[in-house]
Amino acid sequence: MIIARSITKYFGGFKALKDISFEINKGEIVGFLGLNGAGKTTLMRILTSYLPATSGTVIIGGKDVARDSLAIRKKIGYLPETPPLYSNMTIRDYLKFAAQLKDVPLKRLCVQVDRVLEECNLRDSQHKTISTLSRGYKQRVGIAQAIINEPEVLILDEPTSGLDPVQILQVRNLIKNLEYKRTVILSTHILSEIQQIAQRVLIIKSGEIVADDSLKNLLKDTELNLEDVFLRFHAKN
Amino acid sequence: MNKILAIAKKELKTYFKSPVAYIVLIITISVFNIFFFLIINENREATLRDVFKVMEFLFVFIVPLLTMKIFAEEKFSGTMEFLMTTPTTNTAIVLGKYLGSLIFFTLIIAMTSSYYFIIEFFGQPDRLAVVTGYLGIWLEGALFIAIGILTSSWTGNQIIAAISSYVILFLLYFSISFVKYSSGITETLIRYIGTWTHAENFSLGLIATSDMVYYLSGIFICIILTRLSIENRLWR
Repeated sequence: MIIARSITKYFGGFKALKDISFEINKGEIVGFLGLNGAGKTTLMRILTSYLPATSGTVIIGGKDVARDSLAIRKKIGYLPETPPLYSNMTIRDYLKFAAQLKDVPLKRLCVQVDRVLEECNLRDSQHKTISTLSRGYKQRVGIAQAIINEPEVLILDEPTSGLDPVQILQVRNLIKNLEYKRTVILSTHILSEIQQIAQRVLIIKSGEIVADDSLKNLLKDTELNLEDVFLRFHAKN
Repeated sequence: MNKILAIAKKELKTYFKSPVAYIVLIITISVFNIFFFLIINENREATLRDVFKVMEFLFVFIVPLLTMKIFAEEKFSGTMEFLMTTPTTNTAIVLGKYLGSLIFFTLIIAMTSSYYFIIEFFGQPDRLAVVTGYLGIWLEGALFIAIGILTSSWTGNQIIAAISSYVILFLLYFSISFVKYSSGITETLIRYIGTWTHAENFSLGLIATSDMVYYLSGIFICIILTRLSIENRLWR
């Protein structure tokens, strides 16, 4: 489903990503794990075609992200680290706007909006103005816009950052309910999150992938938990 | 086209949800009304020529306030990343935003249409000159908006966007003042670049091809440059 080959990204003289390659199969739930500034967001922005790679290619569903950017964007649902919301709109109006931009046919617009409102448990708040919502609600609205066009690939950048424990649980459950339908990539530096949601982990350190394996294999033959494994990889490389 | 309309509609709604838009609208119309009655009272002529001049002058100050947030706010709040990762072309994003602002601006102009009926009631105005005059200030506002949107796309700071707009609009509007210090090609160039002479022709009832080309090409160039500006992350 997703093939990344030798992705390198420079910001001026700074090398943010160093020759990153990986493949993600359809339906997989993959976690990008790394400290702040490791390059997770940059990698996700390249996957969504928001940023171009300095070198290397990304193929999603057989199409090159750099060449077929518009076609790729139709397949992708993306939640940036800060939910991209228009504070003066109501939840419903915002989702309708997102649906229109994401090529949801006019006939199905209301159906799709109702579906994601239901799926993200936002039905009762649909007429509330976004600026009045709590952080947890905003995150759910962000996820709702990401899935409004039923994308094949869902990319979530730190979906639970800044949330309280109850909100984290709500968002985590929401993501878990979505995962059976599509390929999901999420980035986080919270290890328990990866352990609860992802099947496979890519540990990114200073723009490089230092580990790429299933959770089962990473924790195999060891008494260690994921936190120890993560720290071990960080110390080793 | 649907996406352009969706973005335009969203922009228009954003204007009406903000108190700034209402304040700008009320202040603008109040100032226009005051000048209209002062001018009519002073000139005692059934013409809007001088009113158009005042409107043109005030638009130099008003339009940057309307356009400063168009892209700057999206960049600041992070919604730009949302827009740019939807399957929407950059051209549609720019045109949608431009259209939304243009409709709001047209509304301001439309609110002054009562001036025509007032002078029609009291005198015999040159109807053609009124129509072309309105076309002239509408085109001028459309150019100012295109410039405002361009400067808004340069930064995530609305104040910097507004100041950049003011600098460009002041140069265009007041360039006529430099004519007396120049001659030959420089003078011709300044006369052509400045907005003053072009709007003047419209208020006299003249629609010259060169004036239309000036406004339309200016709008077109600004839209192209805005598109390039929002794409600049792709070149870094």
